[in-house]
Amino acid sequence: MAQGPTPQIMRQGRLAPWMYLAPAILVMGFFIVYPMFTTIYLSFQNKDGTQAASTTCVEGRPCWGVFENYRYALTAELDPSSLQSIWQTFWLSSYGNTIKWILLMVTGTVSVGLLFAVLAERTKYETLAKSIIFMPMAISFVGAGVIWGFVYNYGAGVEQVGLLNAIITGLGFEPVAFISTRGINTIALIVVGIWIWSGFCMTVLAAALKSVPEEILEAARVDGAGEWKVFLSVMVPIIMPTITVVVTTMVINVLKLFDIVYVMTGGNYDTEVIANRMYTEMYINFNTGRGTAVAVILVILIIPFIYMNIRRFLEQEAMR
Amino acid sequence: MKKIAFYLISILVIMSMILAACNKEEATPEPTQEVVAPVATEEPMEPETGAIDCKGAQAGDVITMFYQWSGAEEERLNQILQPLIDACGVVIQPESSRDQALLDTRVQAGTPPDIAFFNVTQLEQYQEFLVPMTDLGVNDANYPDYWREIGTVGGDWLGLPVKADPKTLIWYSPVVFEAFGYTIPTTWDELDALVEQMVADGNVPWSMGLESGDATGWTGSDFIQDILLVTQGPDYVMGLIDGTIPYDDPGVREAYEIYGAWAADPAYTVGGAQGTLETGFLDAIYLVFQDPPQAMMVKQSGFAGGEVAAQFPELQYGTDYDFFGVPGAQGLQGGSDWMMAFTSTPAVQALVAYLSSDAGGQAWAAAGFDLTPNTAGLSAYTDPALLNKAEILAGTSGFTPDIGDSIPGGFGSAEWTAIISFLGGGDLDAALAAAAAVQTEALIPTP
Repeated sequence: MAQGPTPQIMRQGRLAPWMYLAPAILVMGFFIVYPMFTTIYLSFQNKDGTQAASTTCVEGRPCWGVFENYRYALTAELDPSSLQSIWQTFWLSSYGNTIKWILLMVTGTVSVGLLFAVLAERTKYETLAKSIIFMPMAISFVGAGVIWGFVYNYGAGVEQVGLLNAIITGLGFEPVAFISTRGINTIALIVVGIWIWSGFCMTVLAAALKSVPEEILEAARVDGAGEWKVFLSVMVPIIMPTITVVVTTMVINVLKLFDIVYVMTGGNYDTEVIANRMYTEMYINFNTGRGTAVAVILVILIIPFIYMNIRRFLEQEAMR
Repeated sequence: MKKIAFYLISILVIMSMILAACNKEEATPEPTQEVVAPVATEEPMEPETGAIDCKGAQAGDVITMFYQWSGAEEERLNQILQPLIDACGVVIQPESSRDQALLDTRVQAGTPPDIAFFNVTQLEQYQEFLVPMTDLGVNDANYPDYWREIGTVGGDWLGLPVKADPKTLIWYSPVVFEAFGYTIPTTWDELDALVEQMVADGNVPWSMGLESGDATGWTGSDFIQDILLVTQGPDYVMGLIDGTIPYDDPGVREAYEIYGAWAADPAYTVGGAQGTLETGFLDAIYLVFQDPPQAMMVKQSGFAGGEVAAQFPELQYGTDYDFFGVPGAQGLQGGSDWMMAFTSTPAVQALVAYLSSDAGGQAWAAAGFDLTPNTAGLSAYTDPALLNKAEILAGTSGFTPDIGDSIPGGFGSAEWTAIISFLGGGDLDAALAAAAAVQTEALIPTP
């Protein structure tokens, strides 16, 4: 658009862009970059950051030198006696549980969100229905954890205070200890996560569905496609970019998930996830080195998904 | 249409918020808070004239003091110190903070207070700065040997135990016990027999719930430590704390098995293993005192009395709820506060002499500030629950701090994890080995 030589007054010196950026760089540097480097540095130190991590090695036990905290973070939860025991303990460790969370919660929230987005659009009470689904988003994770803690409550006595167990015993079955039974408990916690986050997925996906041109849908229907066919072959491909963004965002959310596990089980009964373990090492065991090592591993795991999100975003920008 | 729906929803949300706010449960009380015993403030202690030795302290001499107490606790301390102030004219300059780092800085900088009240671990930490009690005119006749041993570091008696709160207690309902003809056991075997008797009668003996958020497990570790005090004794517990005995020692294993035989069996404890794991520690207390009771006994610290009183205001201490010491325990576990002196001015000497004297012990007991290890205090308690506890303390021969709290580096939570995994059906040897690894690691001296 610019024509002819740029007038002198419009020219910027080399410094000017940096001046514009300076406030952002200062804030980011102080609150993000500096803490990040400190975290990485501390993860190679001992429990109070006074000496190198290698000094914490114990004679006769495995030791990874300066990576000692990483050895602990990666292997401490595993039982190394046999391949089978490693496999079994892995799926009860914070890493195995985080993988369960990612698989179940991301598919859960996205499919429930998509389902409600599509269905709500077809009802008279679209706004009301959507608002109700979205409402859990307004509740803090801690609040949700407390609420669901009551739902799952297992009464040791005669009366079942917990809603679910009251129903189960009302139907004449034995009450279930949802929180402390391995295998059930992580899934019970994931249900809470899905309950909270489905509304978010629904809102974003519903917005995307609104942007699907009505003519294409009409054309597909005129060509004889059933509603399922329209949904799977027309709607979903069109909103695929949005689905990808929602999925990556959810993966990042789940990797960072802490509150639900902290409130409902405290990481006990083999429900530990990475973020909760980071907290435990840092603020319960007061082991800065190990806590920051877990934090660094968490960051490394999150980076690919952030990268995917950014690339997606840049592609979209480029298309405009 | 949309607008109306929006309004409807906002109203709905606001209404539900209001409802939620109205329904607010009372906050969960701190497990460490003690029942506030009635304090006889209107009747100040009347020290026998001449009972307080001022050690040459002049009126106006200042004692700088550092302690963790504030509010009602601080008032009780003031009440205890008042006779000394009246008799010798010393001036107390207190500083109240729970921040131990503040005291650390003070000590390292060479400007410590004259007197600090803190935990037993500080005696070792500050040992080179402290003046031995024996140089300050302590009245050692009022302290049993075991207290002096705990306060002795490197051969010197460095701290005066001033306050103790034992938690080796079992709460029960005297009315219910009477109805079934149960008597309070005095030995571990009698307790065992009583438990079997209760099961035979179709009663559930224990309520053991240990759920407590991210501190889940502490009621279990308290119970196991009490079993260790019965089966092994206080020296063994101190050995676990200093690392000379590994946590996977057969003695610990045996204690876990004794505990597990009760805590995981629905005939012996409410709800069996799942009930133990998922019942909140406060609910576990209530189960024993609700009508009809779901269990006969709950092992819990002194704060349980306050919880019962708050939950069931119609119940009376002494008839509806009471406690006895864990029978057969060779020592107690609990928290204790220690007085340490950084200077040896006449005023400090007067303070040490006063608190360790009969008058000082009685003043402490009369103020109802937990228990005083000073044996002279026993006659002066006014609160019946404190007196009961004091009698248990008087009959013991050892005092141990909580194992989990005394080992740094996350041993406390490792201990809980071991208990939770054991009750959940996990392998006991593996659980204890994991806790022992944390114990070893925590106790390696940092170079």
